Amino acid sequence: MSTEYRFVEDLPDLIEASEYDDHPEGRLVRLRISWDEKGVEVLGDAFRPDMLEALLEKMGPDAVEQMLCG
Amino acid sequence: MVAWVPADFYRAVDGGLQCTLCPFRCRLRDGDTGACKVRRREGDRVLTATWGTTVEHWSSVERKPFYHFRPGLPLLTLAPPGCSFRCDYCVNHRVSQYGRDPDSRVSAPDADVEKLVAAAAERGGGLALSYSEPSLAAELTLELGARARPLGIPLVWKSNGFLTPEAVERVAPVLDAVNIDVKAADEDAHRRLTGAPLAPVLETLRLLTAAGVWVEVSTPLIPGTSAEDRQLGRIAEFVASLGPDTPWHLLRFTPTYRMRDQRPTSPERLADAARIGRAAGLRYVYVERALGAEGRATRCPGCGVEVVARGVWGQTESLLRDGSCPGCGEPIAGIWTVDERTGA
Repeated sequence: MSTEYRFVEDLPDLIEASEYDDHPEGRLVRLRISWDEKGVEVLGDAFRPDMLEALLEKMGPDAVEQMLCG
Repeated sequence: MVAWVPADFYRAVDGGLQCTLCPFRCRLRDGDTGACKVRRREGDRVLTATWGTTVEHWSSVERKPFYHFRPGLPLLTLAPPGCSFRCDYCVNHRVSQYGRDPDSRVSAPDADVEKLVAAAAERGGGLALSYSEPSLAAELTLELGARARPLGIPLVWKSNGFLTPEAVERVAPVLDAVNIDVKAADEDAHRRLTGAPLAPVLETLRLLTAAGVWVEVSTPLIPGTSAEDRQLGRIAEFVASLGPDTPWHLLRFTPTYRMRDQRPTSPERLADAARIGRAAGLRYVYVERALGAEGRATRCPGCGVEVVARGVWGQTESLLRDGSCPGCGEPIAGIWTVDERTGA
């Protein structure tokens, strides 16, 4: 069963443009994990979307929300 | 789930029906699907999968990006499935590569044109087709335009510009602004990257400019093609040939999809590219994030004062007075208010 992707209007940035020079290979992945009575939410940001998606998919989520470009 | 509905933009030719929407001009036998994967022949007609939209998202006009068109305008953004290109770096491949890539499994319910136009009117906003390839949704665009234009609701595209001249002629009257990608400077590089020729894209840009549609251009810095100085220089010269006031947006490359092994574009490289653009005579060259607020700012080409400042998420502060610099009075090209039109 493959992960469902949902496209959303906005997601918060966890990486600032001022950090770009510090990660020329684009290896930074940043996560923010929070929880409430409904469950656990993992918010991610990365220079390499596929790396982040692979990581999130391994967590077995109901769905992954993604912003589109443009 | 994607619905197929009767399409326009085709003609009868010897041996079948020929799609006239994009320059591939596919000749379709019964049951054939075009190169775009979202138009197909069924009997004596052609159907399209682009009357539906995968999303209905609100975002600011600056996010498309448009920096010289109605600052701060909220846009109700639609994304019918599909694209005439198969770019190796596409961040939106789950939507754009519908029918071409098995990982693209989208739902695109039919667009309710009346409801969409009413929603844009209620919010004082506009309508956009973006994320995928809007030109493949020419029928939806014409219907949206027919209903939106009398109400003064702007309609814009973020497009690859891959249309036939006859399709451009039909859609131009309903488009207020377009941002079109120029992804390479020569045919071989463009074909390698996108699977399509470059010349029709450049011709579309010329035709839309001549038709009075407000035009901005984007170039993603793709390693091995558009990121090279020589390619950037030639792209910048082409954009300048449309007019030195044409805004040029330089987009940071994101390693993804079939180009995962490359590095993201460095801020230094984006700064170099911006210098190349200005050296070609372009007055308005922009980088959304990597160079900070200065990369998003509009400066008066006359006296250098900052006349429009922008945040990352579209917050805009304009010092313009009637579209001109408050310091020296130089007119700043663009459509800054609701009642301005290009070429008038």
